[in-house]
Amino acid sequence: MKNNILKLGILMLGLFSILVVYLSYLQVIRGPAIAANTYNRRFQEYEAQVLRGTIYDAKGAVLARTEFTDGRGRRVYPRGRETAHLIGYISELYGRAGLESTYDRYLLGREGADRIRNYVNKILDRQQSGGDMVLTLDANLQELAVDLLGGRRGAVVLIDPRSGAVLVMASSPSFDPNRLDNIWSSLVADEAAPLINRATQGAYPPGSTFKVVTAAGALAEKPDLAAKTFSCPGFIEVDGYKLMDTDVHGEVDIKKALAVSCNTTFAQLGVDLGPDGFEKAVKAFGLTQDPGLGVPARPGTIAPTDKLHPTELASSAIGQGEVLVSPLQMALVAAAVANKGVIMRPYLVDTVKDSMGEVILQTSGRKWLTATSPQIAGIIKEGMLEAVRYGTATAAAVPGMQVAGKTGSAQNPHGASHAWFIGFAPASQPSLAVAVILENAGSGGAVAAPIAGRLIAAAAAKGY
Amino acid sequence: MISGSFGQHHISSSAILRATGSRVIERNLLLLAAPFTLAGMLVLYLGVPQARGHHALLVGLATVTAFFLVHLYWKKIGYKGDSFLLPITAVLSSTGLVFLYRLNPAYGMRQFAWILIGLGVLLLTSRLLVDFRFLSDYKYIYALAGLIALILPIFFGQEQGGAKSWLDFGLFQFQSSEFVKILLVLFLASYLVENKAVLTAGTRSIGRLSIPGPQEWIPLVAMWGVSLLLLVFQRDLGTALIYFGTFLAMVYVATARVSYVIFGLGLFMAGAAASYHLFGHVRSRVAIWLNPWPYADTAGYQLIQSYFAIGSGGVLGTSLGQGYPGFIPLVHSDFIFSAICEEMGLLGGAAIIVLFMIYVYRGIKISLNTKDEFAALAASGFTALLGLQAFIIISGVTGLLPLTGVTLPYISYGGSSLVANFILLGLLLNISHEAAADL
Repeated sequence: MKNNILKLGILMLGLFSILVVYLSYLQVIRGPAIAANTYNRRFQEYEAQVLRGTIYDAKGAVLARTEFTDGRGRRVYPRGRETAHLIGYISELYGRAGLESTYDRYLLGREGADRIRNYVNKILDRQQSGGDMVLTLDANLQELAVDLLGGRRGAVVLIDPRSGAVLVMASSPSFDPNRLDNIWSSLVADEAAPLINRATQGAYPPGSTFKVVTAAGALAEKPDLAAKTFSCPGFIEVDGYKLMDTDVHGEVDIKKALAVSCNTTFAQLGVDLGPDGFEKAVKAFGLTQDPGLGVPARPGTIAPTDKLHPTELASSAIGQGEVLVSPLQMALVAAAVANKGVIMRPYLVDTVKDSMGEVILQTSGRKWLTATSPQIAGIIKEGMLEAVRYGTATAAAVPGMQVAGKTGSAQNPHGASHAWFIGFAPASQPSLAVAVILENAGSGGAVAAPIAGRLIAAAAAKGY
Repeated sequence: MISGSFGQHHISSSAILRATGSRVIERNLLLLAAPFTLAGMLVLYLGVPQARGHHALLVGLATVTAFFLVHLYWKKIGYKGDSFLLPITAVLSSTGLVFLYRLNPAYGMRQFAWILIGLGVLLLTSRLLVDFRFLSDYKYIYALAGLIALILPIFFGQEQGGAKSWLDFGLFQFQSSEFVKILLVLFLASYLVENKAVLTAGTRSIGRLSIPGPQEWIPLVAMWGVSLLLLVFQRDLGTALIYFGTFLAMVYVATARVSYVIFGLGLFMAGAAASYHLFGHVRSRVAIWLNPWPYADTAGYQLIQSYFAIGSGGVLGTSLGQGYPGFIPLVHSDFIFSAICEEMGLLGGAAIIVLFMIYVYRGIKISLNTKDEFAALAASGFTALLGLQAFIIISGVTGLLPLTGVTLPYISYGGSSLVANFILLGLLLNISHEAAADL
């Protein structure tokens, strides 16, 4: 009998040993993945206890803050729909988005010294808090941009080409993040897609604004093109396919071709570039990359090189065909020309602090890409200046300031053409680069260029 | 063979015996357990707002003192029961007390009262039932009493947590199955001793396999019936599993016949398969065990919440009072182990399991040191019972086995469970006392 008892004991100790091994596996190996599940309410509970950090604009205006009512935190967005696409939201029902989501760990005080500080605070039953964030955004200019869009579908991006700091990033239509839980179902159903950040996620044909990229690519391949003149009979035939121009532009050099937006010239330059040269030019401007702003972005797309046959090249070169890019990317194209060919990495978050105000992250201007050479940038700049002086972009002119610009009126299957404008100012020492798009609003020169002009004037008046 | 091995055990246990005589080991271990309890209560007092003002520290101090008083009394009367079990029980029940206090101070206060009552019952058991052998004379009374106690809730019982196994006495509720399990072990021990020879040898044979006659195996099949009764009418899967497991363990210890165990397991499987097809709640338990995620909002909610708690704990845990075990429904009773895993981490959870392992180890050692078969069977039965119960509920809340609701001995909230397990402890100690005292 004793022998049997011994065997029973071994069996039971064996069972418990299995349990210890299994518990170790469950808690150490599988634990983190299980705890991260969206059904886990612990994260929301944590959210409700922590005084989430405040988000400020560049001038100290509050963009997001937490208000406590009855011991539970509630997130308030004073600028509402104006900044909704950038700041994002935190919702128990619909998840988290935008910078609120990207910088969650900092805002909730779970990084750096805050981790220990908040642990102690919790034990001592003191308020736990997260760190604040300061953005590069200027809320007043953002408001102006939203007003200028006037509820129409479109987007405006204004950046400092010298640093990459994003001053304005507006997308319309927008939504009120303060009432998200109530309006979610209508937002999702809305065919205008108000939840989409058109500035970074939009996929638009860039139209003639894209000629800047084509020009840079062509000049890089054949520098002598700068001294050459092109003849425009008002159309171009590629592989038996006749592409009509808007006008008969006659004899033009590359600057004037930009100024008057001559399709014939740029279609020919595109065909001459060939598939590889064209793709190289597109990639040089970073159009197919996500610059990593911390908000969702769609990298631009062009036709694959094996499909870039001459007719596709001709239309891609003037921003039609299969070219699809976002307003942010076109603003970076303008910034490249403004900044002597160099694109600084765009950024929205200037500083991230911990709960005691110590700076944890500080962004400074960093070079991202060399899109083109200073010489080529100079030639294109001349063309863009002429466009505002006498060409298609005269509506962007600002009294007392030299503005360089390029319009676009991008044909699309959804109706009237998208009105585009990209540009920068002041031409001598560019500190502002802009991109404006209004969906199906008509001609870029008539609709988009004036918005850019007013925004540039306002920004310059504020000392940017 | 059995008597031959006795001498060795006497020699090997004599060293421990000298120590148990003065209960030095028990005192030293209780001195280790005391800071654990007090530290837990101090952390609650300092760090958990809802536990403040509820005299957490006083309760901790009183609990520690109560265990010491039991120790001192035993020392005074020269009680020679095992020296390890009381300190292990002290740590387990203190852990339960601290966590119940942390989850809900009202539960903590009630549990504190039940621990005191449990210790009182333990003292009485060690005093009144110290000559436990007379218990073997009343086996059919146990069988009858146990059966009545099990059947009563079917007619008058209250349903709690899906199991209809509670009797409501107004002031408190009484879960009879917790006490019946002790009667079960006593009955089986007496019965198996009496019929061991027949059961082992068999009175007739089918081919090469010798089987006992109906008068011997009918009671055993009846036991299987009782388990099924529990399962079907009280929906108490866990208790049925524990009863049946204990039964098989004791039959094996008595007869060494694996064929009984296989036959028993076969019967159990048949019963389980039948109830799987017959009862929706059994099917859903199995489905949830296999994959709880599709039922995250419904029947699987509790297990999923338990997973979240365990997963959030990591190695070191969130520390006491800093997690959210309150998200688990019934966390204070069946799911208290998940709360421990969240706030004390893998180290805390594994420590609890290791304490149960030591408990089982001491229990097995006690039954190896007994001088007759009734004591050996009873001790191994109690050990198997307690070990199985701990294993089944910990496996259930961690998802190793399908979840069957039983309490975690000494830790879960509940007077019936606590008092019954203190009686079990007392009987186990009495058996070890006899073995030590006779030397």
